[in-house]
Amino acid sequence: MSPTRREALETGWTIGSGLLAAAATWTTYEALAPLASVEGRGRLPLSPPDAYADGSVTFVREGHLYVTRVKGELFALSQKCPHLGCRVPFCDGSARFECPCHGSVFNLAGEHMHGPSPRGMDRHPLVIEDGRVMVDVATIIEGPSLGPRQFDTPSPGASCLDAPKAG
Amino acid sequence: MSDTLWSRVLRRWQDTALYRSIVRTPPVDSPRGRAQRSFGNVFLHLYPVRVPRRLLDFRSTFRLGYIATVLFVVLLVTGTYLMFFYTPAVSMAYGDMERLRTLVGFGQLIRNVHRWSGHLMVLVVVLHMARVFWDGAYKAPRQFNWVVGVGLLIITLAYSFTGYLLPWDQLAYWAVTVGSDLVHYIPVIGGWARDVLLGGSTIGQSALLRFYVMHVAVLTAFFGVLFSVHVWRVRKDGFAPGTLKDSRRGASARASAGADARASAPTIARGATRRIRLLGVVEASPETAHTRTPDDEVFAWPHLLVRHQVAALATLVVVIAMGIAFDAPLRDHANANLTPEPAKAPWYFVGIQELLAHFDPVAAGVLAPTALLVLLAALPYVDRDDTYKPGDRKLVVSLVALAGATALVLTVIGAFFRGPGWAFVLPWQHLYFEP
Repeated sequence: MSPTRREALETGWTIGSGLLAAAATWTTYEALAPLASVEGRGRLPLSPPDAYADGSVTFVREGHLYVTRVKGELFALSQKCPHLGCRVPFCDGSARFECPCHGSVFNLAGEHMHGPSPRGMDRHPLVIEDGRVMVDVATIIEGPSLGPRQFDTPSPGASCLDAPKAG
Repeated sequence: MSDTLWSRVLRRWQDTALYRSIVRTPPVDSPRGRAQRSFGNVFLHLYPVRVPRRLLDFRSTFRLGYIATVLFVVLLVTGTYLMFFYTPAVSMAYGDMERLRTLVGFGQLIRNVHRWSGHLMVLVVVLHMARVFWDGAYKAPRQFNWVVGVGLLIITLAYSFTGYLLPWDQLAYWAVTVGSDLVHYIPVIGGWARDVLLGGSTIGQSALLRFYVMHVAVLTAFFGVLFSVHVWRVRKDGFAPGTLKDSRRGASARASAGADARASAPTIARGATRRIRLLGVVEASPETAHTRTPDDEVFAWPHLLVRHQVAALATLVVVIAMGIAFDAPLRDHANANLTPEPAKAPWYFVGIQELLAHFDPVAAGVLAPTALLVLLAALPYVDRDDTYKPGDRKLVVSLVALAGATALVLTVIGAFFRGPGWAFVLPWQHLYFEP
């Protein structure tokens, strides 16, 4: 039996309202989703790999990242703490990355040592092209999970945090 | 006595057809006239015509809901004023704050009053919830209005949080960095939700503009709808029995304490002729019938309105005095490369931050606050029996008190006892707290 006019109109209204709601949601999402250009500016060319000596830490302001070399390996570490997004400064005294917000501490390779951070410092992929280090700023690799560390180096001195070992 | 020139002019003016077309003023010498005044005036109509006499006692509600409303109006007025001088752009916002402080007449005072009223509103809303909980006023038929109230609490916090970023100083930048980074711990959608909130993975121009639009427009729209529903339902559902009479006042104390209120607010006499036109059809036994005992009711206008007026004036005095006494903080210009020590979330989120220092981020940053809000909203549907007195609902009162005390302790520790590196610091040695 074919639907009555009333039933057909009701169905039509329901489907129409549903479509309208879906369209509004989609429009809102598309409008509010972050623009790709706002995010990282792609690949960042840096110095030749020899410029980074073993045990050195170089801050790259344009990319909000550190380039470090430990035991021969190069790392590009995001400056943003994986815990709550504070910028992690490098402490010369202890040769560690020490977050002033909540006291997370990382070694030169960004591996988590202690503090509330759920993982090690996030990394960017880097390749060597035409004799220069290229960092892919747009891509973030989540830092190494907690547990055994491979790249610990001895700490030469005191921590920069006023009162170390919090949380 | 009444025949001064002024009163004669006033009466002449009130007799004109023009005046009577603007203000409908039936004579107030009868209950019917008084009721008609309330019905005929859109502002008075926000109130019920009659309210239980015990509402005249300050301790019945502590006027907390009303004070929150007054604070909201103060925030609307001062906020509108601030909008004339503020540009939501990274390059201009901080300069605008300094101009407001140094060049704009009363600019600093207006900003101070706005900030302190905002903080105070969070506090008053929470106290209002505590009072409503204590009185069991969320029980049937008022369950849903409690849920609406939880919505208003969330909007109030969102107001405060979005406003926090706007000065674009170090305090704003890092408090909001830490606060909004909590979002990315939400499983599956966390990173995406944070990016939509901020317009990127870090706080920049998009985040500032988004927070500004949320603060002045989006939240105001939602608040307007929920607030209207909230007040309308209070108005329609009537007031819960309350616990004041039972728990605090013996029969003898009542006689003396109630004496002056009685003298100034005559009860609507039993048996007096009250012919009031039909306003609606009431069911034979409406759900709210037990709260409507005319013998113990007084007219809301003027008796309750006068008391509300006093509460409003007192609130204004407090926030203006706070604005004169304490300046809203403005630190250095926001610097994305320099994290201050310590970076604390706004005080109402600092309890979560404290929790995060001890537990897994998903549990402490997402599950705990979500569970708290869901349980809070579900409270009237879990605690359903028809008992109002706190002594008769010891279990639920103790559980909620425990949750409240935990939140309070965490907040106090996070706000006052934490320093650089989130290390334990005694507040009298060095206070790392800025509101």
